[in-house]
Amino acid sequence: MSFSLIFKDELVGFYKSKAMIFLWIGLPLLAILVHVSSQTSDMSLSILVSLVVSSIGGLLASVMLTVNIINEKDTRVYDLFLIRPLKRWHILVSKFLAVYICVSIACILAISIGLLVDYSESQIAFEIIIKNIFEPFMMTLAVIAISSAVGVLIGVVAPSILVGVLLVIFGGQYISSIPSIIPFVFNIENPFTIVLILGIIITTLLMSLSILLFNKKEF
Amino acid sequence: MEKKIKCTKCGEITTVSGNPGETITVTCPSCHAIGKITFEKIQIYKSEEPIVQIKNISKKYKDILALNNVSFDLKKGEIFGYIGPNGAGKTTTIKILVGLLNKTSGQVFINGYEMPEQKSQAHKFIGYLPQQVAFQQWRTLNHALTTFAKLSGMQKNSIQPKINELLETMDLTKFKNKKINQLSGGTIQKVGIIQAILHNPYLLILDEPLNGLDPESRYQVKQIFKDLSKKGTTVFFSSHILSDVEDVATKICILDWGKILKIGTLDELKTEFVKEKQIEIILSKKTEKFKEINNLIGVQNILEKSDNKFLINIDKTSDSDEIIHNIIKTLLKNDCRIRSIAPTNPALDEIYQYYLRKGGDK
Repeated sequence: MSFSLIFKDELVGFYKSKAMIFLWIGLPLLAILVHVSSQTSDMSLSILVSLVVSSIGGLLASVMLTVNIINEKDTRVYDLFLIRPLKRWHILVSKFLAVYICVSIACILAISIGLLVDYSESQIAFEIIIKNIFEPFMMTLAVIAISSAVGVLIGVVAPSILVGVLLVIFGGQYISSIPSIIPFVFNIENPFTIVLILGIIITTLLMSLSILLFNKKEF
Repeated sequence: MEKKIKCTKCGEITTVSGNPGETITVTCPSCHAIGKITFEKIQIYKSEEPIVQIKNISKKYKDILALNNVSFDLKKGEIFGYIGPNGAGKTTTIKILVGLLNKTSGQVFINGYEMPEQKSQAHKFIGYLPQQVAFQQWRTLNHALTTFAKLSGMQKNSIQPKINELLETMDLTKFKNKKINQLSGGTIQKVGIIQAILHNPYLLILDEPLNGLDPESRYQVKQIFKDLSKKGTTVFFSSHILSDVEDVATKICILDWGKILKIGTLDELKTEFVKEKQIEIILSKKTEKFKEINNLIGVQNILEKSDNKFLINIDKTSDSDEIIHNIIKTLLKNDCRIRSIAPTNPALDEIYQYYLRKGGDK
């Protein structure tokens, strides 16, 4: 009951926030800009957009979560939640899911524009385009999940917003790129499955560590 | 149990009765609108035990001992004023009590449940207002209160009537749908008090609850404390405004450097403070024979505070009323005119300073 309540509230809070409105308009707009500037590229627009938004969407998700958690910690918002019969992990997981869902929707919107352009400009059947984009799209979601979990972890441990944002920009991005790099470093034939598995494992580990530290935290 | 409800259509207020947990159908006597109401379930309260037991708790922040062997009990219906200078350890005690901080040693029980091990059970009994109350900025006042009411386990259909009732009491109805970031500091403090009392907790823990409130609101809040205490709620609050503590607290604890200097009722605190009983006299006309009161039994000496204002020290063992009676008789006999005469009553402020100095001397 308390988890669904907090999750619903966080989702409403994030999707109504100015940052999220900017994201929902900004990422699809980015897809159009990529299309305009990459007329000569051989790569399909949807795959190109997928690569761009996984990096930008992931960064934005982690920055949003870090800033939000540190800000609420600093202003002592959590005190009123933590003295009620509520599990501490509810707060972190609901924030993670709310941001992850909102950023993923923004990415889907951006990639959909790429798909529509690809479909209208090529003679390839829509089913084939969808098939081609499916794997990069799932990898995008995996990268965003890791980035969001990094954002939560940095939000829990960082002492200030400035330190948190710097850690996300200079450290978080490297962690998020681990699943995309590993298959190529070890020359794995089917990188898609590995990226997904690594994405789930790293996200779970980061979230577990965040919950462990948050549970021990004194307010 | 009885409950006052307001008709959402015509505003008519009706009293209905039912059993805890029961849902009944109510018809408005004025407009005949039909609605349902559920009475809240009563939480198990182990009345034979003190609701709060703090046993020898200490808290260390690296090398600093913030709390040193603090122990006290709180019984049902007590209003406990926790006072002390900045850095005395008041907020640390409160945070340990609600489970936001871990103690270094000692034991804390709330309604028999040990903190922090059994905090999920103990939290059902607590209402808490932190020193720095904050809400998520994007929420409206009503949304924030509804969320906290739900998290505290209130019945869904009793939430809105209770919020409306408290908003009206605190004169905040006009801000109901305003966003938190549009409210003033004093209003947010009042909303903080509402979220603490919303679910009728058995134990109310408030850190500086009267900070930032105007005199009228302070009076309202103090009245709320008194009403809750009458209904059996234990109120634990810290404050710097000693006159407010004096107004409402049934038990007072003075804390300094993490140690309890004195604990007891205001009368008990005064007993040690008042070494000598004093009577203050203000005369409108004084004659030379005024000093004859020096010869009365029990009178030790007279201190002249101003031309017509005097302090008379009397034996601690003597009966003040008897001496006042004799003083009046003597003064009237000697053609003095009395404007006022009364035993002096030390304010909590003086007592507080006395115990702090005494504690500092040790």
